[in-house]
Amino acid sequence: MSQPVDPAPGRRQILAAFVTAVTAGIGASLAAILGAFALKPSRAAASECWVHAGTLDDLTANVPVPHVVSVPRVDGWYRERARQMVFLVWDGNQQVTALSATCSHLGCQVAWNGETKQFKCPCHGGVYDVSGRVVSGPPPRPLESVAAQVRGGNVLVKL
Amino acid sequence: MRRLFDWLDARVGFRGGRSVMLDEPLPPGTGWFFTLGSVLLALLAIQILTGAFLTLYYAATPDHAYDSVRFIAEQVTAGRLVRGLHHYGASFLIVVLALHLLRVVLFGSYRPPREVTWLSGIALLLLVLGFALTGYLLPWDQRAYWATVVSINIGRLAPAGGEFVASVLRGGATVGALTLTRWYALHVVFLPALLVLLVVLHLLLMRRQGISGPVRTRPGDPYPFFPRQAARDTAVILLVTVALGAFAWHGAPALEAPADPTDATYIPRPEWYFLGLFQLLKYFPARAEVFGAVTLPTIGLLLLAALPWIDRGRSRAPKDRPIVMAAIVVGALAVVSLTALGWRDRPGSGSPTAWPVRAIGGRQVVLRANCTKCHAEGDVADPLEATAITRSAEWIGGHVSDPEMIAPGLREPPTLRSDREIAAMVSYVRQLARGPYPGFPPQAEQTAGIIARYCIGCHKFDGDGGTDGPDLTHAGRKHDADWFRRWITSPKNVDPKAEMPAFGKRVAPADIDALAQYLVARR
Repeated sequence: MSQPVDPAPGRRQILAAFVTAVTAGIGASLAAILGAFALKPSRAAASECWVHAGTLDDLTANVPVPHVVSVPRVDGWYRERARQMVFLVWDGNQQVTALSATCSHLGCQVAWNGETKQFKCPCHGGVYDVSGRVVSGPPPRPLESVAAQVRGGNVLVKL
Repeated sequence: MRRLFDWLDARVGFRGGRSVMLDEPLPPGTGWFFTLGSVLLALLAIQILTGAFLTLYYAATPDHAYDSVRFIAEQVTAGRLVRGLHHYGASFLIVVLALHLLRVVLFGSYRPPREVTWLSGIALLLLVLGFALTGYLLPWDQRAYWATVVSINIGRLAPAGGEFVASVLRGGATVGALTLTRWYALHVVFLPALLVLLVVLHLLLMRRQGISGPVRTRPGDPYPFFPRQAARDTAVILLVTVALGAFAWHGAPALEAPADPTDATYIPRPEWYFLGLFQLLKYFPARAEVFGAVTLPTIGLLLLAALPWIDRGRSRAPKDRPIVMAAIVVGALAVVSLTALGWRDRPGSGSPTAWPVRAIGGRQVVLRANCTKCHAEGDVADPLEATAITRSAEWIGGHVSDPEMIAPGLREPPTLRSDREIAAMVSYVRQLARGPYPGFPPQAEQTAGIIARYCIGCHKFDGDGGTDGPDLTHAGRKHDADWFRRWITSPKNVDPKAEMPAFGKRVAPADIDALAQYLVARR
């Protein structure tokens, strides 16, 4: 076969520009669609909601009582219920406050010591008072407080 | 920049590579018919890309496959579009592949020395059909599941080793988790590897022999692929891509209900490109089925593959090859007509959004059993509507009847009285996975509740129910409301030989009246 023959230079340029533009256009469209697809999955995570944490009958006035709360969590298409521990403190009347049981240091679960009337973290010895303020040890912040309300004898917390 | 490219070219030689890629000499007269190969390459690239990205969210397990595909279609940004591109891309690929094959036959391009190129093309055709087959199962909805059951059963028909082939395809004793992982692995690992090898072989052979060009040699000099032919290819690719985009924009067809191996009422149908084969099977009695399903397609395929050795004349012009042309026209017409017949021959199924009476009745059971006491927003369990429950009927049945299966911390199992109530509840919950409860008039709900509790164990309604009593789908064609009222209250008063128990003491007269009206309306 003899040497290939090109079209006229002007036409060649137009055709080449057409090929490049269309290829780039299709490539860019695909890149945009697939990029959005890969990088922006929907954040369908369950927003905070009021969940049942117990009843007033379970609580003793001014003593933090640990309660495990089942919290709905959405992970993509996967719905699960995370179990989270909170301490409920009843003022003896109609008011309940709730504290997260997660130590603000490295995330271990604190325990209530009835004798010293303090929360103590078993991991690195962080100590908090009954309202969650740091008494001693490495925790940088108080225990996180959780919104709570009493409705018809039931205690609801927002998690 | 130029210096950088020079430096790179000295080491990589990309300019030479570019020249090899783009300056392929084409015979004069090469025209629009020769663009189809490039269109196929472009479509394959789109399939591979969209398929690779779909794996980011897809989970190949029966518990999650359906939910993950639904998540892609409904929640992920551009997910509907990406799934649409992949779904319709498969159909586009098959159509363009068929056109490419027809072009090759029409132009006699398989003639020596291009026999091996032709054979590799036939292998690619089978491979693409393999992709279509394995990909069809992945959404794990009713359509996917039952079409796969049928495909595997067709494999079983093969005279020697059919059972073996079927068991290899299934992976386990039934179509289930092992089938899904197996077909997923085939779809995303094994077949793509084979595809790349075959495409490279096909292209290398094409370049080695040069393209066949028009049937009669035209005067003039050969010209390079770029930019004239490349521009033709690009124009057709643009057209096809825009059409594909338009289809994909509307999204792939909605998912059906989650796969339910226990649902004997589902009528499976394959994707359109297998409809011809599906239709062909209907014309063969059970004994000759193997001929229609296996032998005939195999003979057709072998004849197609053997074309270079059958059609050995000198001229490539279609008018000089009347027998091949006639055979191809007949073959193509047969495939097209069988596909069209299969397309038309749909079963008269109800609307996909129609709610079976058992499911409507199941809602009454759910309400009565206080399921929504815990299955509510912010309560210990997710609302039924939000759970997109795709568990098997056995699991749901166990969940509602066995306290041990209820979530930890909940000690109040629903008090269900009978298997029939559990079945109704399961039907309701599974129907919820397909879409929200549309709402029906209170009287209709009440009647459905009675049917689900008392009637459906023995009578069929729209294909769902027992077989001890007559099918009541079209009950209104036979009797009037008064007859039904008397019959339900006390069958023996109507016919002393009646076997059906009397419901006069179990169901309130007003409910019997409503039931009679409901049955009369079923015509």
